[in-house]
Amino acid sequence: MNTIEIKDLSFSYSEDITALKNINLVIKKGEWISILGHNGSGKSTLAKLIIGLLKADKGDIYVDEVLLTEDTVHEIRRKIGIVFQNPDNQFVGVTVEDDIAFGMENLNFEREDMINKIVEYAKKVDMFEYISKEPHALSGGQKQRVAIAGILAMNTDIIIFDEATSMLDPKGRESIIGYIKELNKEGKTIISITHEMKEAVNSDRIIILKDGEVLAIGETNTILNDKEVLNSSNLELLLPLKLMYKLDEANIKNEKVKDILWQLSLNK
Amino acid sequence: MKNIIVGQYIPGNSFLYKMDPRSKIIALGLLMISAFLFEDISHIVYMLVGVLLILKIGGIPIMRIARGLRPIMILLLFTFSFQVVFIKTGDVIFDTELTLSSVNLILMILIILTWYFTRRYIKSRFLYLIIVIVGILTMLSLFSPGFKISSSDFVIYEDGLLGASFIMVRLIIIVTLSTILTLTTRPTDLNLGLERILKPLKLVRINSEEIALIISIALRYIPTLLDEANKIMLAQASRGVDFSEGKLKDKVMQIISLLVPMFIISFKRSDDLANAMEARSFIPGNPRTRIHILTWHYRDTLVMIFCVVVLASTIFVRVYL
Amino acid sequence: MAIKFEQVSFSYPSFDGKNFSALKNINLEISEKGEFITLIGETGSGKSTLVQHMNALIRPTTGSVTIYGIKIEKNTNKNKRIKLNPLRQKVGLVFQFPEYQLFEETVQKDIIFGPKNFGIKEEIAIERAKEIIKLVGLSEDYLSRSPFNLSGGEKKRVSIAGILAMEPDILVLDEPTSGLDPKGRDALLELFTSIHKELDKTIIVITHDMNTVYKYASRALVMYDGELVFDGVPNSLFSDKHITEWNLDLPDIIQITKQLEEKLDIKFDSKPHNVDELFNLVKGAL
Repeated sequence: MNTIEIKDLSFSYSEDITALKNINLVIKKGEWISILGHNGSGKSTLAKLIIGLLKADKGDIYVDEVLLTEDTVHEIRRKIGIVFQNPDNQFVGVTVEDDIAFGMENLNFEREDMINKIVEYAKKVDMFEYISKEPHALSGGQKQRVAIAGILAMNTDIIIFDEATSMLDPKGRESIIGYIKELNKEGKTIISITHEMKEAVNSDRIIILKDGEVLAIGETNTILNDKEVLNSSNLELLLPLKLMYKLDEANIKNEKVKDILWQLSLNK
Repeated sequence: MKNIIVGQYIPGNSFLYKMDPRSKIIALGLLMISAFLFEDISHIVYMLVGVLLILKIGGIPIMRIARGLRPIMILLLFTFSFQVVFIKTGDVIFDTELTLSSVNLILMILIILTWYFTRRYIKSRFLYLIIVIVGILTMLSLFSPGFKISSSDFVIYEDGLLGASFIMVRLIIIVTLSTILTLTTRPTDLNLGLERILKPLKLVRINSEEIALIISIALRYIPTLLDEANKIMLAQASRGVDFSEGKLKDKVMQIISLLVPMFIISFKRSDDLANAMEARSFIPGNPRTRIHILTWHYRDTLVMIFCVVVLASTIFVRVYL
Repeated sequence: MAIKFEQVSFSYPSFDGKNFSALKNINLEISEKGEFITLIGETGSGKSTLVQHMNALIRPTTGSVTIYGIKIEKNTNKNKRIKLNPLRQKVGLVFQFPEYQLFEETVQKDIIFGPKNFGIKEEIAIERAKEIIKLVGLSEDYLSRSPFNLSGGEKKRVSIAGILAMEPDILVLDEPTSGLDPKGRDALLELFTSIHKELDKTIIVITHDMNTVYKYASRALVMYDGELVFDGVPNSLFSDKHITEWNLDLPDIIQITKQLEEKLDIKFDSKPHNVDELFNLVKGAL
C-alpha cells in the first residue's frame, strides 16, 4: 500500500532559484526511506512541501490517496509528524510535559488520555525523569527526543526526520538513529533526511537528490553498489565502500574481503 | 550561562501554594483596593499586621520579601524624607538646631570618606548608609565645637511623620502582596490564571487563550534569547568591540552589532517555531484542550469570602467612620 | 609560549542554585606558531568555556591564564590599566554560528569591522579584505554582496574572513564544521590547513569528528567533565585505553583497519592514515 505519492513536483523560492524539479516518488506504508543530498540539494524543501508548509508550483502530493490541497492540509498533517533540524526552535512548551502535550492539545485529546500518553511516550524516549524540566536544562539530543515523544503521542503513521541529527553530538546522533530504527520496526513509515551516508545505510530505500533533481532512487543495496551514481552525488562515500571500489578497480577479487567490507558499510 | 530564572518562584507547600492562581490574583486585587481605601494610619497598620500574619502562616521567609523591597528602597526613603521635611502642620514633635562648625565639618568629611571606601565590604549597605546619615545628623545637632560656619533649624511635625509612615506602610503592603503572588505561583500557573480570568474578554473579541500562548512562548524563550545575546556579545567582543568604553559614535555601532544578529536569529527562530507549531496541527483561533487545568477548592472560596469581607469593611470604615 | 593556563578553574551558579564547575584545574600551554590543535570532548565538557579563556572573554575563577605575557586572573578586569582588547586581536576566536557576528550590509564592511576596531585604517583594511576573501575561497565580487543572502558554508567563510582580517597569530574555531555536508566540511578543513601552513599560524579547532582529528591535527586535547584529560599527539590518543571512558569514537580508518585485521585474522605491518594506505596494505596481504 502506498502512503505517499508525489507526482511531477516542482518548487522554486524565487524566479532564479529552483529548489526542486520534477520529483516523482512513491513511499510505501511501513518502509524507511532516506533522502540523501548535499546542502542546498532541496531535501528539506521536499519535507516542507509534503506537510504543506510550502506550496508547490507544479505537481501533486497524495497522502493515503488524499490530494494535498488547502482544504486537506490539516487532515494530512494529522498523519505526518516531523522532527526538524534545530532542537531549540521546535520546543514549544515551557516544560517537557507541556511540549509533549502541545500537539495533542491542538488535536483536542481528552485530558486523561493526554496525561497517560505523556507518561507513556516520555518513558519510551527515556525522558520521564525530565518531565518537568525546562528546555534550557536539556541537551540537544534530549530536546529531539522530546520532539519525537510529542509526535508519537499524536499517533501519526508517518514520521519525517528533517536533518534531525545534524546539530547533535555523536552521542545524541546515535540515540536518535536508534529511535528511528525502533519506530520503523514498530510499523511507522519513516522518511529520514540527511547528508550522512552513514545514517542512510540501514534504511530500506535511498533517494539521492542533487541540485533539486532525483539523481537516483532504489533499494539501499543497489544504491550502495552503484559506484558511478555515488561518485557523482557530491556525497562522501563510506570508507569501507571506498576501499571496496578501489579493490574492484584494481581487479582484486576476494569475496571474503568484499563481504567483510560490505557488512562494515552496513554498520553490522 | 545557565543561571537564568524567569520570575521569582520558590518551591514550597503552604496553603498559598495550594491555592488556585485565579483566587490568588483576585485576592491580590481586592486587598490592594482595600490598601488604597484606608485613610487612617492605625487601620493600615492593622492591615500590615494582617499581611505579616499571612506571610507567617504561608511560611514565606520575611527576608525574601525584604529582598523584593530592595529595588524600591530608594523610592521609599525619598518619599519618606520628602513628607517628613515638607509637611509642616500638626504638633511639633522634634526640634533641633543643626550646626555646621569647623570641627564637625572635617569629621563629617572623614566619616563620608570612610563610608565611601568601606561600603563595599559591608554586607547590608543600605543599613550602613542610613546609620551613617543618622550619625552625621546626630553629630551636627549635638557636637559642634570650633567656630560656627552655618546653622539651621530641623523640625519634624506630627502630620509629616504620620503621613510619611502611612505612605510607606501602604507601599510596603502593596509590594509584599504582589511578591507573595510571584513567590508562590509558577509563571506558567500565573499565566494560566490570567488567561482564565480574562476569558470574558472574548465578548469584545480579545482571545485570552492566544495571549496566554504568546506569554508562555515568551517565557520559554527568554532564557534562550538571553543566552544568545550573551554569545553575540562575546562574538563581537572577539572582534574588538569594547562594550565598556568608546565614544558615542562607537557606542551606536556597538549596539547595532548586537541588535542586527539578535533580530536575524530571532526571525529565523520564530519562522522555524511557526513551522513546528503548524506541523503539529496548531491552527490559530481553533479550540484546544488543555493539559493544565485549574481546580477551585473550598479554601479558595474561603479566601475569596475573607477578602470580600475585608474590602467591605474597608468601605464601611471609609464611609461611616 | 603564547598562551599559558595555570591551575585554571571556572565555575558559575547554575539554574538550580548550585555552583557548576565548567573547568577544573586546567594546565595547558599553546605556542604561537605551527600547531594544529583539535579540542575534543562531549557536549558540556567545557570546550567552549576553555577557548573563551584564550582571548580573555571570560576570566578564571581561580588560577591564571597568561596571554602574550599578560596575566589574566579573577579580578583583572577591575584593574583598568590592563587592556584586554589587544589580546583579542592576537587570538582570533570564530564562534560556532556565523549568525552571531555578521551584521553589516555588505561582506566587505563586515570583514573590515574587526580591523577597524583595532585601529587599522579603513583603506588598509579594505586591501586586506580583498586578499582574505580569496584566501577563504570566495571570489572578490562577494565583497559587495549582503552577508545574509549567502549559503551556510559561505557565511561561515565570511565569518572566518572577518577574524582573519584582524591578522591574529592564533586562530580558534568553535565547531566550524557542524551542520555542513561532508564536501563543505572537507573544503573548510583544507582551508584551515592552508592557513596553518602558509601563514604559519596556530589553529585550534573544536570538533566532534575523530576523522578530522586523525587526519589534520598535530596535537589533540581532550576535555572530560571540565578536566583536561589528554594532551598529546592523535596517534597516542587513539591507542589510549581510556578513550571509551571519555565517550570518544575511533576514526573510521582505525575502526575499519581493526575490523579487517580481526576478521581476516592478519596483522598489517603499519597503521594506515588514509584509504590509499589501507588499500596498499590489503593488496599486499592478499
